[in-house]
Amino acid sequence: MIDARSLARALIRRGASAWTIVERDQHIATLDAELTRSEQRTRWYLTVDVDMPAGRGTGHLRLDASAGSADAIADQAISLAHTGMGPAWTSPPPAAPARVDLDDGSLRDPVAAVKRALPAHAGVFATVTAMRELVSVTTHAGFHTTWPATLIRVDALVTSADRSLAITRASRTLDGLAIDAAIEDAYKDLALLATARAPVAGPCTLVLHTEAMLHGGLGVWQAFVPQADAATERQGLTRYREHAPIVEGANTAAEPLTIESDGALPYGLESAPLGDEGEAVRRFPLVERGMAAGLALSPREAALRGREPNGGVRNLVVAAGTWDGALPGADAIEVRRLRSLTIDRYTGEASLEIALGLAQGVPFTGGSVRIDLIASLARSRRSTGVITRGAYQGPTIASLGATVLLP
Amino acid sequence: MTWNRREVLASLGVGAAHVLLGCSSPARGPARPQMDAGEVRGWLRDAVARLHAAGFTHARALAVTRHRTSAALDVLGAGVTHARTDGVVLSTGTAEQVTTDLSRAGIEAAVRVLAGSVRAPASVDFGRAPAPVPAVKELADYELLDRVTHLATRDPDLSSRIVYSAALLDVDDTHLWAVAAGSDLEQRITRVKKSITRVAWNGTRPIISEVARAWAGAVDAQELSDADLATAREHALALMTPTAFPDGDHAVALDPSIVAQLMDTAVRTLLTASAARRPEVARRMAIGRRIAAPLVTLVDDPLAAGAYGGFAFDDRGDRAEVVKLVDRGQVVGILPPRRRPGHIGPLEAAPSHLSLTAGSVAADALLDAGFELESGISAFVDPSSDRVVISAARARERLGGKRTGRLYADIELVGELTPLLSAVTAASKETDTFGTRDDLDHLPCFHSVTVPALRTRGTLRARRRPA
Repeated sequence: MIDARSLARALIRRGASAWTIVERDQHIATLDAELTRSEQRTRWYLTVDVDMPAGRGTGHLRLDASAGSADAIADQAISLAHTGMGPAWTSPPPAAPARVDLDDGSLRDPVAAVKRALPAHAGVFATVTAMRELVSVTTHAGFHTTWPATLIRVDALVTSADRSLAITRASRTLDGLAIDAAIEDAYKDLALLATARAPVAGPCTLVLHTEAMLHGGLGVWQAFVPQADAATERQGLTRYREHAPIVEGANTAAEPLTIESDGALPYGLESAPLGDEGEAVRRFPLVERGMAAGLALSPREAALRGREPNGGVRNLVVAAGTWDGALPGADAIEVRRLRSLTIDRYTGEASLEIALGLAQGVPFTGGSVRIDLIASLARSRRSTGVITRGAYQGPTIASLGATVLLP
Repeated sequence: MTWNRREVLASLGVGAAHVLLGCSSPARGPARPQMDAGEVRGWLRDAVARLHAAGFTHARALAVTRHRTSAALDVLGAGVTHARTDGVVLSTGTAEQVTTDLSRAGIEAAVRVLAGSVRAPASVDFGRAPAPVPAVKELADYELLDRVTHLATRDPDLSSRIVYSAALLDVDDTHLWAVAAGSDLEQRITRVKKSITRVAWNGTRPIISEVARAWAGAVDAQELSDADLATAREHALALMTPTAFPDGDHAVALDPSIVAQLMDTAVRTLLTASAARRPEVARRMAIGRRIAAPLVTLVDDPLAAGAYGGFAFDDRGDRAEVVKLVDRGQVVGILPPRRRPGHIGPLEAAPSHLSLTAGSVAADALLDAGFELESGISAFVDPSSDRVVISAARARERLGGKRTGRLYADIELVGELTPLLSAVTAASKETDTFGTRDDLDHLPCFHSVTVPALRTRGTLRARRRPA
């Protein structure tokens, strides 16, 4: 059997310069109309650094197993570290884990929780998955910390007589799931779809409602995540650099954009006390009043820049705006749902396939939009109302300005 | 496929083989615990017998141990990586218990969760034990590196315009046991993928070309041919027409890589038991409904010899069988849930090896005038509306049965699936096979497709403005 203590001993014997062992003991329950599934899973994630005259090598190893030899795994990790040699750097001193509660008492028994959370509406086909895990992090500095975390996710297909919509919700808490409200919204949109027409192509002003704005998780706000990747920024591949406007005029816009990563948000979907390499998770700004303000820093990237690691981009907190939601003009189209959203990770250029929109209050379905998301969101009007959903906290609706609706 | 400068630089920096895999000294893999097949079968039989004793007469057990080895070589170095996953799924028909602890104690603990306190096993006839699976020769790291080095250096005509090249050899060795009353099965599947990548600049845009072969069988059973290597080189070195693409409705020939992506995506989106829950899909894809031209016949054949996505028995423990999905343009079947990501994830309805019937026309005679779409990048099929968007790396213009020499980068075909497939008027007699490994929550899903090129008609438009 593999255990953290024998892995640590094996790594020390082999002279690893620095290492982190993350063990996740997970109990996962899944329920749908036909099946109950319960899973006991142990996942290991090892990060090992080896210092050589040529520099420092880092190896990462992932293992889904309980049986095995700690010595063999340590050999593998050390060997990988030797093969991944790069510039020398020093591990930052251990910092206090972020203080954040991730353990919802109502999810401590995942099997019972999925039964409670399974929607009982007619015409709804749902699968509920709940997880409770105990995460243990051990580092070379003798640092050891453990925390429990819970997670629940619902994937549902909401159907009417002749149409359907798929919805997904995930939360750290049962109360935060709000699946009944999501199903109710889906039914309203199914009614709109029943009367929807074909889109009229041409110039328009694009307004995104919550469901479209957060398509697939972070939705359009995902455009800012790769821009905060420190390795990409170091290679000069990001669209903007730290301390510069994210696009020309972004800092002088009517409502300058501010986005933060908050990994200590209570019960935040991406919150955690420590990252996978043992680094403390910290809140940091990505964009501050239109200016690029921060990067996601792993221990290596932070050391190479002489800064503190921050645990990477976690939950996105977008500052609310002052927009009251009044439509910006007669040519405005309100997009309620998307079929697909594709974002270029380097340029932020996106392609949106529209599932349901409203043009002057009349529903339509179909059409696509190509848009520069970083420029559009930097100059966007954002609502005063705020929502927390998944790893997003921010405005419920945004107006992205002028674009062209394609057939 | 074509990438912009940022993408290729990122690829060179982040996706380079030496970064992915490490370089220089070959790594030793985590020693796989000595797994005695008979012992594992004994644990599973005992588990099923105990579940029977608890009243679960439909009990089944599935165990897997999977070992993945990848070797790669690029312009900066070579390396090898290893990964291992174990798992056991115990099923009663209405409940499943899953564990990553593939040991007697781990399986007994899983039985206790389902059946409560351990009781004496019932007497169950499992039938005859299967014949021992043939031993698979496990290659040492240096043997894999030898092969990948040979693959990387075989093309003698590499141009100095090629700024990056890489070779990859990926071997996934899966050993599976499935036990239920009257059924005791065992299989070992070695899935192999060999690929090469070439990158060259074309003006301000680099062009990345990849050729791959994937199969189930011995590591040396197939090789990338000289023609494959030449294709990778020529696609990377091709010069693109700098003028704007003439957006609009055109006759098109879809090369096998595009047809493969389209068929795979369409089947997964529309022709599965879970997709059939959507009323729009149930209506459009009803059995007997015509969705394509009579030339289109599509089957899912997990028994196809050497198929990357093939298997002898599925993850429910049932023997594999061919499912006909589309017969001469009419829907005749859908896929039931019978596969698990990594063999231990939740059951899913997913294709194994899709096969589209070939036609009788030579591939280079498919199109008189129009555009040949080459090298599929992605395909999107919307289940609720039939909308389809297919992205291709290149479109080659033909006129009067000959190529005009115009070659456009980054083109997409947009429209609706049924009209697109109904407009198919010819299929090539040549076919090509593609194997894909998708990862879901670190669990792999293997599937493959054998398809011909197709001639149809649709709306083409440029994906990017000219640089």
